[in-house]
Amino acid sequence: MEQDHFNQKPKRDAQFITPPNTLKSKVGDGGLTEVILNRAQDLLENNTQDFRPLAEIYLEQMQNGLQSAQNALTADTDENKNEKLIAQILYPCVQLKANGGMFHYQLVTDIANVFVKFMEVVERLDAETLEIAQAFYTSIKLIINGQIKGDGGPKGKALMDELNSACKRYFEKHKEKINIDKI
Amino acid sequence: MSYQLNKITVLVVEDNKPMLDLTKSILKSFGVGTVETALDGEEGFRKFCSTNPDLVIVDWMMEPMDGISMCRHIRNSDESPNQYVPVILMTGFSEKKRVISARDAGITEFLVKPFNVRALYKRLVQIVEKPRQFVRVEDFFGPDRRRKRKAEDYSGPFKRKTDAEKFSAKKKDKVEHIDFR
Repeated sequence: MEQDHFNQKPKRDAQFITPPNTLKSKVGDGGLTEVILNRAQDLLENNTQDFRPLAEIYLEQMQNGLQSAQNALTADTDENKNEKLIAQILYPCVQLKANGGMFHYQLVTDIANVFVKFMEVVERLDAETLEIAQAFYTSIKLIINGQIKGDGGPKGKALMDELNSACKRYFEKHKEKINIDKI
Repeated sequence: MSYQLNKITVLVVEDNKPMLDLTKSILKSFGVGTVETALDGEEGFRKFCSTNPDLVIVDWMMEPMDGISMCRHIRNSDESPNQYVPVILMTGFSEKKRVISARDAGITEFLVKPFNVRALYKRLVQIVEKPRQFVRVEDFFGPDRRRKRKAEDYSGPFKRKTDAEKFSAKKKDKVEHIDFR
């Protein structure tokens, strides 16, 4: 008698299921009108939520992360601790990137986005990466304290260019530190 | 005729209160009947079990339970009232490796923050009009992780002699269709 899979339990025997589309049966057809979408977009653009208290919480978390990393620099940190230290700086910055633009602080989103991209490919924290991280932190803090909304105009663009250049210079100087697996 | 969203319940889970309120307001302006809210994944899962919503919108980074863990509970827990519920994950991450890890947790759609109203609407339409099949394998249960690609978008080498002919015919049809517009 022929043996199925040599008496072994199949490892990749996928079962495909088509669930009932209850959402479709409830909402029907036709989508939403432009009027509804424009009204919702207006509501989003004109929301009066104050982002600063929230931003201050994330900035404080970022500052604590920077401090922990600074303290750990002298010690010989293992790989797991290094990733944890990166996360302590990266995660609050992701929150700043995610929420800034939702509450009129687009420049915070743009700057934080550059920093997130930088940190996602940094292999290990060192004095230079922390210096760059500190520059991003200081820039975002200035924007929040100065209540600079929108993209910040020409000054905002100049700041963005400068921070971008700092990241580029770092990788040009340390080509060996680019973590290919993380790209 | 437009969507009758007043008949559905959406659960929004977000630890950032201003963002939670904003998302709720947007959904209300879409005409969603009931918007349930929770401030973290644990409370979110409890609310999911008690309200059995038609759609879940969840933030990724939350304490003590994040959005990914909550999604795993929805897909795999015996307590889950609907393992097939569509889940939209909101996050500031957009890197490929993060998207892949979210997809592997059973997320249906990924919404990068900051987002505009049309981006949220696009995910909603995708879920309603093009629901994904579910897949159960030994180590995964959730929406099919493969996205179907259009043949016209294929740029790799052909496998059969007839492929080139078929491909150019399809491309021609597409161009002619655009020209008629």
